[in-house]
Amino acid sequence: MTPPRLTSSRQPLRLLQDRVATGFITAGGVGVLLAILAIGVFLIWETLPLLAIGESLALAKLSPLAWGTLKAALAALLFAIPVALGAAIYSALFMSARLRARIKPALEMMEAIPGVVVGFIAGLILAPWVERHLASALVLIIWLPLSAGLAGLLWQLVKARLRRRLPLSWAGLWLIPWLALMVAIALWLAPWMEQLWLGGELRQLLDQRFGMDYATRNALIVGLAMGFAVIPSIYSLAEDALADVPSTLIEGAQALGASRWQALWKVALVAAGPGIFSAVMIGAGRAVGETMIVLMASGNTALFSTSPFEGMRSMAAAIAIELPEASPGGLTYHLLILAALVLFIFTFLVNTLAEVVRQRLRRRYRQMGGTS
Amino acid sequence: MKAGTVNTASRRPRFNWLNDLWPWLCAASVALSLLMLGALLALLLVRGLGHFWPATLEEVTLRSGDTFAGHAVREVELPQQAGDERLYFTGNQDIEGARWRWVAIEEIAERAQPADLIRLERSPWGDFIGRLVAIEQDDQRWEGDAAWQRLTTLLALPASQRQESQLLLTTVDGQTLRQPMASVVSAQAPNAMSWWQKTHVWGDGVWRFLSEGPRAANTDGGVWPAIFGTVLMVILMSVMVTPFGVLAAIYLNEIAHQGRLTRLVRIGVRNLAGVPSIVYGVFGLGVFVYGIGGSLDEWFFSDTLPSPTFGTGGLLWASLTLALLTLPVVIVATEEGLARIPEAQREGAVALGATRLEMLTRIVLPMAAPAMLTGVILAVARAAGEVAPLMLVGVAKLAPQMPIDGEFPYLHLERKFMHLGYHLFDTAFHGEDVQAAIPLVYATALLLVLIVLVLNLTAIFLRHYLRRQRGNEC
Repeated sequence: MTPPRLTSSRQPLRLLQDRVATGFITAGGVGVLLAILAIGVFLIWETLPLLAIGESLALAKLSPLAWGTLKAALAALLFAIPVALGAAIYSALFMSARLRARIKPALEMMEAIPGVVVGFIAGLILAPWVERHLASALVLIIWLPLSAGLAGLLWQLVKARLRRRLPLSWAGLWLIPWLALMVAIALWLAPWMEQLWLGGELRQLLDQRFGMDYATRNALIVGLAMGFAVIPSIYSLAEDALADVPSTLIEGAQALGASRWQALWKVALVAAGPGIFSAVMIGAGRAVGETMIVLMASGNTALFSTSPFEGMRSMAAAIAIELPEASPGGLTYHLLILAALVLFIFTFLVNTLAEVVRQRLRRRYRQMGGTS
Repeated sequence: MKAGTVNTASRRPRFNWLNDLWPWLCAASVALSLLMLGALLALLLVRGLGHFWPATLEEVTLRSGDTFAGHAVREVELPQQAGDERLYFTGNQDIEGARWRWVAIEEIAERAQPADLIRLERSPWGDFIGRLVAIEQDDQRWEGDAAWQRLTTLLALPASQRQESQLLLTTVDGQTLRQPMASVVSAQAPNAMSWWQKTHVWGDGVWRFLSEGPRAANTDGGVWPAIFGTVLMVILMSVMVTPFGVLAAIYLNEIAHQGRLTRLVRIGVRNLAGVPSIVYGVFGLGVFVYGIGGSLDEWFFSDTLPSPTFGTGGLLWASLTLALLTLPVVIVATEEGLARIPEAQREGAVALGATRLEMLTRIVLPMAAPAMLTGVILAVARAAGEVAPLMLVGVAKLAPQMPIDGEFPYLHLERKFMHLGYHLFDTAFHGEDVQAAIPLVYATALLLVLIVLVLNLTAIFLRHYLRRQRGNEC
């Protein structure tokens, strides 16, 4: 059968147009990829002059910053990992599907809140409050998990009818007023307990008896604020990994007599392990590079200290503060670009690792006959 | 169900700590996250919008016999002793030398709320709180209620039509002040207002916050230049990022050979979304500002050197830097949309004799359009909230000129601009009177969060709609 020859007169033009367009798209695409590559090339190029100077000076300047970065990221992860993973486990394994469809976007919305806003709340509102109510803040950190356990214990004890009205699958929602109540109780009781047990204010006690300094903007505040910012990114990826664990695995384990705890600990977490690992890695990458929150909530003093009540200065914050004033081509300029290079390489490696692990995991699930 | 009730005895075994407790801890972490998010948004909403509500003015008499007028801001515990102290905003900086006053609550003998206390907003010296005695104009004089009516009629006129007149004011402790009318911005008597009038004043305050420029070293006035700068920068950025992001996505998905290299490139692009924004700022400063900008200055603007034209941070470089920063977002979203299009559609088009260009423009791109839009909206949302890179490439705390004006070439790409996020940071941390600035910072933060959340919600709904539509088609 001969093809229709209606367009034969325009055929060469069409082919030419197609060639040109393909070439254009290729050029554009490759150009964009080259521009992205240029970031790495530029950073390395600008740090080359440092090789001539020797490394002792660079080390002296950068090591407090590196320590500050690590301390801030560690504080944030200490707060974010338990909360994010707990939330991921709950919403992947227990939450009702209707609730999950609402809660997940809401939690992911947390990620959209700009760092400046979180930093402002942390640096100007939370930090002075915690300084005045240090004991209450510390009590809260211990009291909140305890009160969640208390809720579970009470739930086991109440009548079955009430239990059906407040099911575990909706607990993520109805625990909110419970937690708010518990926060109120803790805040009301803490100053009283402080007087009774410690016989004075905790902050003065720390200062007098242990010689610990207290800076208004410190690692505790940074941990809370940056933890808040990191929770959604860890949660979102870990939840995906857990929800993709083939349900046959968990059901099979429970059919063989495993308890809920064993099914989680020995089956679900093991199967989703790589996914959770990559989630934590991405969270770490975000915590290391976050600038505004550390800038506003850490006090920006370059110190070597392990105390959670003292400030720090991170690499990202140092770049933001010092680079606009550094003269191009000077020593500080090159050192700060070295800091940027370190950040770039670190986050790039961490993210690549996370991505590779995640892709391998996805392939494994497919082999197991999972849904993804 | 019958079976269920029979089983209750066996379904309630002894409480096992390990087995029965951890789901509650997990549930509590969801609740805690939501609680924190809710608390943050509620705080911003209450403080950000509450600032514009006219506060009740109090006349406070202390035990020492001292009197002053102001509105109560907050209370904190006294350091080292029992009792609380309260912070009052008292205004009258030109008379008292300070605008704030801390008073221990025990010291207060009497608090009253007289209806004749007024609050004037003045352009030098900030607020005045006290009483209006009279208005004098040439040889005319209004007193009492007539003076207040005269004041409101004068303020209703545009500034150029107001006649020269003097206000005679007294503070509550009896000091008098002559205030020229020209420097008065607005006046209110909040204690005499009805609820409805207060709502009106509130709406007016919100509107002025959105439409006016900052005054008094960013502690007063509005954020209009910052809104304008943010929007303009974001528009320029999306104009740059959309074509290039889409081109790169089409190249990666439709043209490039799908081998190991392409997969690596794809991973690399995806990872760039995780690179800290400050690194992009460093790149923008080094390459765009010092590199390209410096060269442009040498070639075209050598007569104005050494003062830089393009060789310093500016609107163009800021939007280019943010375009680079948001490129991965657009590429990833577009690629996702392209990958969702069934292969059969493409094969069908090609089988009917379409060239690749025709297949792309007639079949693939229209189908992927919502995905591209989602990507651009997400990019805009990310760029609107990003501050760290802008600090390096051209944001200003107070830009003297808007980037668009009536002067040729109308759009001034080399000018520095104001940005909502940086405005927030600067007012909160480098302001002279942080106490006075905090309410405005709350309002700015609320505005920024609202903009970003609305953009993100739009993207989510678009994506949701897109997925459902595709689901029906396939």
